[in-house]
Amino acid sequence: MTLAAELRRWARWFLPGVAVLLVILAVFPIWATGYGVRVMLQLFMWIALAQSWNLISGLTGYVSFGHVAFFGIGAYTTGILVTKGMAWPLAALAGGAMAVVLAFVIGWPCLRLKGPYFAIAMLGLNEVLRVAASYFEGLTGGGLGLSLPTLDASVRIYYAMGLVAIAVTGLTHAIVTSRFGLRLMTIREDEVAAEAMGIDTFRYKVYAFLLSAAAPGIVGGLAARDMGYIEPISVFPLITTITMIVMVLFGGKGTIWGPVLGAVILFTFQELVWAHFPHAHQVLLGAIIITVVLAMPRGILGVLQQKYNLPRTV
Amino acid sequence: MPGPILQVRNLMKSFGGVTAVNGVSLSLEAGKIYGLFGPNGSGKTTLFNCITGIERRDQGAIGFKGRRIDGLKPHQVFHRGIGRTFQVIRVFPELTALENLLVVTGGDYARSRERAEELLRFVKLEGLADEYAGNLSYGQQKLVEFIRVLMTDPELILLDEPAAGVNRTLLNELLDAVRALRDRGKTVFLVEHDMKVVMGLCETVFVLDHGEKLAEGPPGSIQSDERVIEAYFGR
Repeated sequence: MTLAAELRRWARWFLPGVAVLLVILAVFPIWATGYGVRVMLQLFMWIALAQSWNLISGLTGYVSFGHVAFFGIGAYTTGILVTKGMAWPLAALAGGAMAVVLAFVIGWPCLRLKGPYFAIAMLGLNEVLRVAASYFEGLTGGGLGLSLPTLDASVRIYYAMGLVAIAVTGLTHAIVTSRFGLRLMTIREDEVAAEAMGIDTFRYKVYAFLLSAAAPGIVGGLAARDMGYIEPISVFPLITTITMIVMVLFGGKGTIWGPVLGAVILFTFQELVWAHFPHAHQVLLGAIIITVVLAMPRGILGVLQQKYNLPRTV
Repeated sequence: MPGPILQVRNLMKSFGGVTAVNGVSLSLEAGKIYGLFGPNGSGKTTLFNCITGIERRDQGAIGFKGRRIDGLKPHQVFHRGIGRTFQVIRVFPELTALENLLVVTGGDYARSRERAEELLRFVKLEGLADEYAGNLSYGQQKLVEFIRVLMTDPELILLDEPAAGVNRTLLNELLDAVRALRDRGKTVFLVEHDMKVVMGLCETVFVLDHGEKLAEGPPGSIQSDERVIEAYFGR
C-alpha cells in the first residue's frame, strides 16, 4: 500500500498544480508561436469533446456512437450565422444551443432504446446529418462546403476553447460528486434496479444527454471559425467520435480527470506520430483500443481508483 | 376495518406462447408477512415484476392502497410505497455501499446520509460503507440490497428469495429485521423456497403452480395440502 500512500501524498499537490498549470496556459499565447497556439487549442477541443462524451456514455453507459453530430451541427450553425454577419462568439454559443435542441429531438425517442440500439441510432443520426449538410446546398453550400470570412482569431479561439474545456470539466466534477451523478451511474450499473429504486431513468438519461451535447456544439462552432472552411466530411467524421471514445476509455470512463488524461496523452501521442508517420496513426489508435479493452477496461484512472480505493474526485 | 393494502385481480401475463401468470388474484392486508411459494417457473418472479411495474401485465388489475398501479412505471410504483429486492442480487457494484443507499432518496442530503448510516449500522456493515459494493461478499451484498429498500420506508416490501445463499447467523438477523418491519405496521411479501423460513415467518402463504394460484392459507395447512405436495414432488 506504499503506492497508495504515495498517491494520496501527491493528491494534495493536485489542485495547486492544476492552478499553476492554468496560469501558465493563460499566458502561453504571449510568447507561443501561431502553430503552438493552434496545437493547444485543439487539445482543449479534445478535452471538451472527451469530457462531454463521458457525461452521457461514461456515466450512464449509453454509448453515443454519433457524438460528432453535435460538433457538426454546431460547426454548421456557427458557420452559417457568421457568414450572415453574426459575431463568432455568439454564433458559437448558438451552435451549442442548436446541439442541445438536436439532442432533445433525437434523445426523446432514442433514449428509450436499450444500450446497443441507442448506439446504432446515434451512428445513423450522424450519417443522416452529413447527407443533409450536402443536400441543402442553399444553406450549407452542399458538398462544396462553406467558407467563412477571413479572420485571424486564433488566440481568442484558444481562450474560448480553454474556457469550454474548463467549464465541462467543472460541470463533470459537480455532477460526479453529486447524487444526480450517482443516479446517472446507477443506470450504467443496473438500469432495472435503478428504476425499481425509484429513479426515473429516462428523465435522467435525457438530462445527461442534453448536458453532453452543449460543449461539442460550441466547440464545433469555434473549430469552424478557426478552420475558416467547413464541409460535410470535415465536421461529421466518424473518426472524431471514435477518438473521443478512445480518449475516455484510455483515461478512465465515468471519472472526472480520466477524459482529460486520455485526451492529453492520446493527443500528444497522435501529434508526434502524425508528424513522423502520417499513415500509421489510425493503426495505432486501433491498437490502443484493443489494448485498453483487453487489458484495462476501466482505463488508467479507473484502475487506480479501484485498486487503491481512491475517492471519486481523484 | 381498512381494505387490503395490495389487491391483485385476475392477473395475466404471457411471454410468447408461455403463460407465466394465469389469472392470479390475491389480496394482502397491512401489517402482515405473506409468503409466495411454488416450484421453479411457477410465475413467482413474474408476479413480483408485474406488481412493481417491471413487466406490464396483459390483463387484470393491481391496486395499492385503493389506487390502481398497473400501467405505472417501476419508479412510480416505488414512490407509491412498494420496495423490492431481486432474486439475483442487483446492487450497483461500482458504487460504494453508502452510495448504493444514497441514490434512493431525494431531498435533504444530510438526512439521507444519516438514514443510510443508521441502516448500515443496523446490519453491521458500517465499517464497509466506503467499499465498492461489488467487492463485498454475497451475503453482504444481499444485506445492502435489503437495506436499500428501507431507505424510503416503503409500506409494502417484496423480497425475492431473501434467504437464498445467506448463512444461518445472517439469516436470523435478516428474519428478525423482517419481523421488526411487520411490528412497525409494514407489509412484507416474500418468495421463499426454504419451508422452515416460511413456517416461522409468514402468516399466510400463497402457492403458485404453472402461473395459477393453487392454494392459500396459513403455512401449516399449506404444508399438508395434497395439491401442493403434488405440484412439488409429483404424484
